[in-house]
Amino acid sequence: MSLSTSLTSAVNSLNAASAAIQVTNDNIANANTPGYTRKMAILQEAEPTNENNLSIGNGVVLAGYQSVRDELLQTRIQQETQSQSGANAQLSSLQQIQPTFTTSTQDIGTQMSALFASISSLSVNPTGSAARQAVLTAGQNLATAFNTASNSLTTQESGLNTQVTQDVTQINQLTQQIAALNPQLAQLKASGQDGGTLEDQQSQLVLQLSALTSVAVTNTDDGVTLTTGNGTPLVVGSNSFALQTATGSNGATQVLDQDGTNVTGSLTAGDLGGTIQTRDQIIPTVLGQLDTLANQFATRFNAAQATGLDQNGNAGTNFFTIPTTVAGSAGAIKMAVSDPALIAASSDGSSGSNGNLANFSAIQTTALPSGKTPGDMYASLVYQVGSLASNANAESSASAASLMQLNTQLASVSGVSIDEESANLITYQQAYEAAARVVSTIQSLFAVTMSMGTAAAA
Amino acid sequence: MRVTNMVPAMQYAMQQSQQALSTALQQVSTGLRVSQLSDDPSASANMVTSLSASASVDQFTTNTSAVTSLMQTADSAFSSVVTSLNSAITIGTEGANGTESAANRQALALQLQGILQAVIGQANTAYQGAFVFAGSASTMPPFVAASTTYTSAQGSAASPLAVTTGLTAGSVTSISDATTGKTMVFKAAAGDTVATLQTAIGDAVAAGTLSAGTAATINGTGQLEIATNNSANGIVVSSNDAALGAMTATAGSEVANAYAYVGNSGVNSVQVGDAMSVATNVPGDQLFLSGGNVIGSMGGLISALQSGTTTDIGAATSAISAALTHVTQQRVPLDNTLSQLNSQQTYLGQEKITLTTQQNSLVGISLAEAATNLSQAELTNNATLAAAAKSMPQTLLDYLK
Repeated sequence: MSLSTSLTSAVNSLNAASAAIQVTNDNIANANTPGYTRKMAILQEAEPTNENNLSIGNGVVLAGYQSVRDELLQTRIQQETQSQSGANAQLSSLQQIQPTFTTSTQDIGTQMSALFASISSLSVNPTGSAARQAVLTAGQNLATAFNTASNSLTTQESGLNTQVTQDVTQINQLTQQIAALNPQLAQLKASGQDGGTLEDQQSQLVLQLSALTSVAVTNTDDGVTLTTGNGTPLVVGSNSFALQTATGSNGATQVLDQDGTNVTGSLTAGDLGGTIQTRDQIIPTVLGQLDTLANQFATRFNAAQATGLDQNGNAGTNFFTIPTTVAGSAGAIKMAVSDPALIAASSDGSSGSNGNLANFSAIQTTALPSGKTPGDMYASLVYQVGSLASNANAESSASAASLMQLNTQLASVSGVSIDEESANLITYQQAYEAAARVVSTIQSLFAVTMSMGTAAAA
Repeated sequence: MRVTNMVPAMQYAMQQSQQALSTALQQVSTGLRVSQLSDDPSASANMVTSLSASASVDQFTTNTSAVTSLMQTADSAFSSVVTSLNSAITIGTEGANGTESAANRQALALQLQGILQAVIGQANTAYQGAFVFAGSASTMPPFVAASTTYTSAQGSAASPLAVTTGLTAGSVTSISDATTGKTMVFKAAAGDTVATLQTAIGDAVAAGTLSAGTAATINGTGQLEIATNNSANGIVVSSNDAALGAMTATAGSEVANAYAYVGNSGVNSVQVGDAMSVATNVPGDQLFLSGGNVIGSMGGLISALQSGTTTDIGAATSAISAALTHVTQQRVPLDNTLSQLNSQQTYLGQEKITLTTQQNSLVGISLAEAATNLSQAELTNNATLAAAAKSMPQTLLDYLK
């Protein structure tokens, strides 16, 4: 084996150590970069040289770089991110709805009690103008409480429509960026190279997309293919398929695929899914029960008015005004009477009679057509809102814990350990120094060799 | 397992411990375990029911207090009436003594008239603007001085009313008779005329509701005149019929010591508990007229003292004694109600305490528990921060110097 061969082997070692140091440097530099996957320099033994039937090693060569990935864990993280974002979207909305139903001086339950208390107070002094006015004021306060609660829910719905539009815009931007990376990655893979930084970028974009909506990820030769939960394509090869928004017949923003097909109902996870579920299922359910309570309560009050006589001896007229349909009752309920004398307290036509007030008071303890008393119906509504918020909170917390665990697992595979890289750096530095020493030694040998003739001539 | 970056795990742990610390601090500062519905949906729903019950108890307590005051006013009036009737009996007994001179009897009659005025005043007792013994017609004094003759505002010589004059459907004309102590109420139906009213009055006379001789006629000036045709029998007439106009007593027709009851028999009830209501009034007709005509018997004694024999005075005094017995009987339920209200007040006070305790257990937290939770949360948070401070700066580089 010649000195030149040894020198070549030493230079290969220098190159390999240098490349490994470069990889280590890259790892250390990106230790805190989101989505970064640690890389390893793939070193392998150089082809040996056969001389005189002797096989002599030629040192080491850099075969390439390898990103250390775990596709399964990444998929699990994407799925858990979808769940967490969906739960967070629901929790955010419910946290804004909750105060409306929390006991205060203005909530429906308190105002309902106040109305019955004012009627009870009127029974003590049925001719008292202050007591009669107090009933009207309490009725107005209850109507306002219903209006406020209904308004809070419908405002929330409108806000969620805006959120849907924003989510769809972000989804379209992300799918465009993901699709743009696909050809580059396909080219790298076709040439047998590691996706490296490009693949990290794409994974990070897919993760961001997962936070917005439910996506199914399939890896193909043309890169990653993304579809929504019901198979609507979002990214295929270098093509991205933009989602669109349109206002539905109910005024809610609908999500359409590129062909114009409504896919709103199939979007169940991510921020968009959680937002749509809150807007289309949770809020309508709560609002429906609120409307039913307002409608049935007002109908009972109006019926009680009709059975009595007002202070002028005339049959009682409606106490509340409500729409002809149950829907919208909570938002539209208002007082129908404004004259205290028109409260039908009397049962015999005498202005001092309180006989009919018992019919009003009975409403408090009598089941409405829904099967529950007004108080129980409202308590049930409070439980439902609280339960929905509690469940969303629990789901969000569970997802956060699960996500934390999955990220820790992924980090143990793909994350950068500064300690590990520091040790690698020392290892590769020593390898480099050793190789350099070999070069230096060969240089000395060359010099000795070169000076051999010169010394003899002298 | 490789351990790489510990920062996310530390951040998560710190966030969790700080959240627990924040919750514990909030519990200590507010005294509440449930500050929003999602903290405990079931307790929040139960709280709605409990607060509703609490509001009812508060109102029942207010009602109990108000009704107690009303009842005490009525009881005070009862007491005065009893005193007055005893005085009347004493005067009657004195007047029945055959040795009393006519002048003395006139003086006793005068004294009794004063007592009668006092009884009328008690019978017209009002509480917060409402007449306690008027039934549900509590906006007007229930006992009104009676006259023999009432005439309508409508009708004149130029435009006289006639028996064919139509009455307004739905209008009410009432005649309260001081002698019988009863009231005839005529509600006009469509097509009714003055003649219909005349017939109704005739029927009421036949039924004993109105004194014999009471009739309605069209007088010489074309007005409707309702009269008893007996100077000793007084009536009070009212009407809201537009065709008749207001009925007013004819000047000089007032009957001395005669008062008609213009209230009704309505009894108001007020709820003072979930399953407890109390009557808040004793109608004047039940108290002063049925079972013993208090006003009439006193008027009878005055007449007997003024012009009757000792036998008449004795009979009139016995009538007052019967009335007194009746009034005393009527007072018993009133006193029972007052006793019930007193017990109910105590019960409601206990119920309020029970509900408040229930509410505290539903959403509140004891100071000891809150303080323990806070201490525990502080300890956990400090431990988490200490662990983070200890482990986060540690890298191999620290040892490669």
